[in-house]
Amino acid sequence: MCGIIGYVGDADETLSVLLDGLSNLEYRGYDSAGVAVGGDGLRVEKRAGQLDALQTALDGEMGDAIDGPVGVAHTRWSTHGPPTDANAHPHTDETGRVAVVHNGIIENYRELRDELEAEGVAFTSETDTEVVPHLVARELRAGRDPEAAVRAATERLAGSYALAVVVAGTDALFAVRHDSPLVLGVGEGESFVASDVPAFLEHTRDVVYLDDDEFVRLDAGGWTVTDADGDEVDKDVRTVEWEAEQTGKSGYDHYMLKEIHEQPVSLRQCISGRVDELDGRITVEELDDVGSPETVQFVACGTSYHAALYGAQLLRAAGVSANAYYAHEYATAPAPVSGDDLVVGITQSGETADTLSALREASGRGAETLALTNVVGSTAARESDHVLYIRAGPEIGVAATKTFSSQLVGLNLLTTYLTDGGADRRLVDELRGVASDVQAVLDESAAADVVEAFVDADAFFFLGRGLDYPVALEGALKFKEITYEHAEGFAAGELKHGPLALVTADTPVFAVVTGEGEAARKTIGNVKEVEARDAPVVVVTDGVAEAGRYADHVLDIPATDERLAPLLANVQLQLVAYHMAAELGRSIDKPRNLAKSVTVE
Amino acid sequence: MRLDSAVILAAGEGTRLRPLTKHRPKPLLPAANRPILSYVLDALIDAGVDDLHLVVGYQRDRVQDHVGPTYRGRTVTYHVQEKQLGTGHAVLQARDAIDADFLVVNGDEVVTAGMVEAVMDAHSATDAATLGIVESDRAAEYGAVSLDGDRIVELVERPDDGSYRLLNAGIYACGPSLLADIESTERRAGERYLTDAIADQIRAGNAVRGVRIEGLWSSATYPWDLLTVARDLLAAGLVGEPERSRGVYVDETASVHADATLRAPVVVGPDAVVGPGAVVGPDTALGRNVTVESGAIVDGSVLDIDTRIGANATVVDAVTGQGVTVGPGATIPGGEADVRVGTTIHEGRRLGCIAADRATIGGGAAVGPGTLIGPDASVETGAYADGVVPEGAEVRR
Repeated sequence: MCGIIGYVGDADETLSVLLDGLSNLEYRGYDSAGVAVGGDGLRVEKRAGQLDALQTALDGEMGDAIDGPVGVAHTRWSTHGPPTDANAHPHTDETGRVAVVHNGIIENYRELRDELEAEGVAFTSETDTEVVPHLVARELRAGRDPEAAVRAATERLAGSYALAVVVAGTDALFAVRHDSPLVLGVGEGESFVASDVPAFLEHTRDVVYLDDDEFVRLDAGGWTVTDADGDEVDKDVRTVEWEAEQTGKSGYDHYMLKEIHEQPVSLRQCISGRVDELDGRITVEELDDVGSPETVQFVACGTSYHAALYGAQLLRAAGVSANAYYAHEYATAPAPVSGDDLVVGITQSGETADTLSALREASGRGAETLALTNVVGSTAARESDHVLYIRAGPEIGVAATKTFSSQLVGLNLLTTYLTDGGADRRLVDELRGVASDVQAVLDESAAADVVEAFVDADAFFFLGRGLDYPVALEGALKFKEITYEHAEGFAAGELKHGPLALVTADTPVFAVVTGEGEAARKTIGNVKEVEARDAPVVVVTDGVAEAGRYADHVLDIPATDERLAPLLANVQLQLVAYHMAAELGRSIDKPRNLAKSVTVE
Repeated sequence: MRLDSAVILAAGEGTRLRPLTKHRPKPLLPAANRPILSYVLDALIDAGVDDLHLVVGYQRDRVQDHVGPTYRGRTVTYHVQEKQLGTGHAVLQARDAIDADFLVVNGDEVVTAGMVEAVMDAHSATDAATLGIVESDRAAEYGAVSLDGDRIVELVERPDDGSYRLLNAGIYACGPSLLADIESTERRAGERYLTDAIADQIRAGNAVRGVRIEGLWSSATYPWDLLTVARDLLAAGLVGEPERSRGVYVDETASVHADATLRAPVVVGPDAVVGPGAVVGPDTALGRNVTVESGAIVDGSVLDIDTRIGANATVVDAVTGQGVTVGPGATIPGGEADVRVGTTIHEGRRLGCIAADRATIGGGAAVGPGTLIGPDASVETGAYADGVVPEGAEVRR
């Protein structure tokens, strides 16, 4: 849940590269930040709070320029110990000779700490990470060179980690990963390591994706990757397609609103080359060798789990037995699975630790695995048998928006491909129109006006049935994430089995009603039930079932295929959450206690 | 002299271009198959201008969505003009970012890099301002100028006098002091104009240079002008897509059926599809993700993003906004008509129809020449539409 970056290159640039990198990684966590710049000596600055606090501390040292050819930096989201200056990274050894930044969790830190303390080492923080610099220092004292010392220290660690280490007096940087993301950036006369590509995207687009237990040395001469045994590994340098320009706010107050507005573009990108209008077919090369699985199990967390529920329903409707599981539950209590089954992990970042564990669990028991992800070269993409990229472009706002929409489109591509071999003229036509339909919602949404009536409400409920049910859950999740108001999503039919007891005149109910089938008619029945309890009702609807007649407010979406209507309804609910949070003055891009990619279990 | 910074004016709606500007400002209307603003930004960057300041206002989301935080690797700074109180007021929104000679460029007129370079080359530190001037028989419709040698002696907005042959191309190089001059310029009807501030400089005897520039300058005042803009750009080959055969530009991601006919000049944008038997062109631009189904005929038209033309439909001299649907067998035969814009009737305009964002024309429907169809309006199956169809209205049989 943290972000790290390391740099080796121009001594005058080190600090600014690191700080820019941190600001690009801020979405990974932001309760403290710090930098260490090395070379002949080693300087460390770190502060609790958002990145501004660190920047202010550094600005206070004007005239005492921090420079050096090598440096590491970190933005933190607390797992061990509260956000304080002492708990912020980088962590150092007692002499201040070794500085370490870490993303992940050192599971055996307690015993390592006991061991070091028994030797008389004094700890200054409550973090798991601090054992690392002390271990490295111990190896240095034993006479090892810095590279050997870092390697030896790493061998003692259990758990998940991406580490970057600098040692005073050494113009090199050492990094290693195990179950936590780490990428290497290759520039001209400079190189980078980071948790994620955007950290250094403005400097280079040439990246090397590191595999577990690979060790990197960066120095003025370039970069070397070695395996756990110290043997050199030949790594491919790949060019990422993302532009650095895609990670600024472009005049919007928040990344979230920018990303909501990017959906027409990202959806056109998602289907580009994958829908054949002339033949009326879906063609997704990546899925060519998936075959026809007996059953499909989805594993995911958070927003991606809602996409999973949607995907499972699509497949069941097409005659394939399919279920969605929370990845963290699946890893603990897996469903029966065999070699004829496909397990699909949905993870925006491709680094969600729970989802990776579930995929490994499934793979270990013989299932075929597929990753539905946004990040090329991510761990999920590399570890799975198949991968379908959703091509949404970088998403910085912690609340997922455009990636959810693209996941839904990806799941339609997958379902049609697995069941009808891709032949579905209606879906092709409607997919080519979905960007325009989303644009219509963006152009004409009444969400900003509707929420104004509800600033003093007690709680917010979201209802939906069938494919609208995952949208109700996602609408509530988005709402609670960024407004901090209590919000819950229900299957509409579950209402009278309990939740109705909570409905009052002060609990607005958002009902998603799309299409004209049995499901829509039944949800309208539920709408009437909450109306009878005086709850204000907002219906999000394509108008087909005339649900608007029973509502206090209506948020319209264009009529489209019943499989895509939920996607459009969700855009309205994204705007509802955004405008309510703006109305309440919340920290929209960085909601309290949350991080974008949850890379620890 | 070389200038690093440009202020691009992209805040105005362009009311005479309604109903196309319902959801986006004029700079984002299509010039062939890309927004006008893209041409302006490309011209600036190709001329070596790296510091871009976009003044946005009306429907600014659309500008921000299209341009993004940087454009071709150059940082774009947005300045919000909350109320559109004139071009001078717009320039002032960026004043804190400007401390040296700078460019001001209209975001809603197509210009080329050569024209921007010529204005920069002519401008010197002793000039209060330098304006790019093009010769045009449409000078009277825009800002006309009179030159004495390389000095501008007169600036007139839309003179009702056909004797003017020179027009202000909307590319200005300005000394930094012009910002203060704009502030001291008298308001007209509550608005401040850049041209008034420059006229004040001329009156005060300060050097305002005019430089005759060559190159493609194209602008739309009325919706049908977008057809002319597209024709100009296609004739000059100024489109981004690769040229497949002479005058036929097709993006690599587009699908054109082997039995379709593309008649030059024509451009087919990314992810666009042309079905079997369809005939597209000449003087036609298909935007991103546009679909022309089998047997349809599209001639002399500009079809913006996501528009779909049904099988066997006929579309002549039409401009569509985004996501417009024309049903199978519908007919927009084109030709000359009297077109009503606001309270003015424009006689004898060659215009098939204007269909604004997400308008639908049903299967077998017919649309008379010069018809303006508002956003989200629909013409039902088999109906006949003529004149003005307001936003969201339905035309029934």
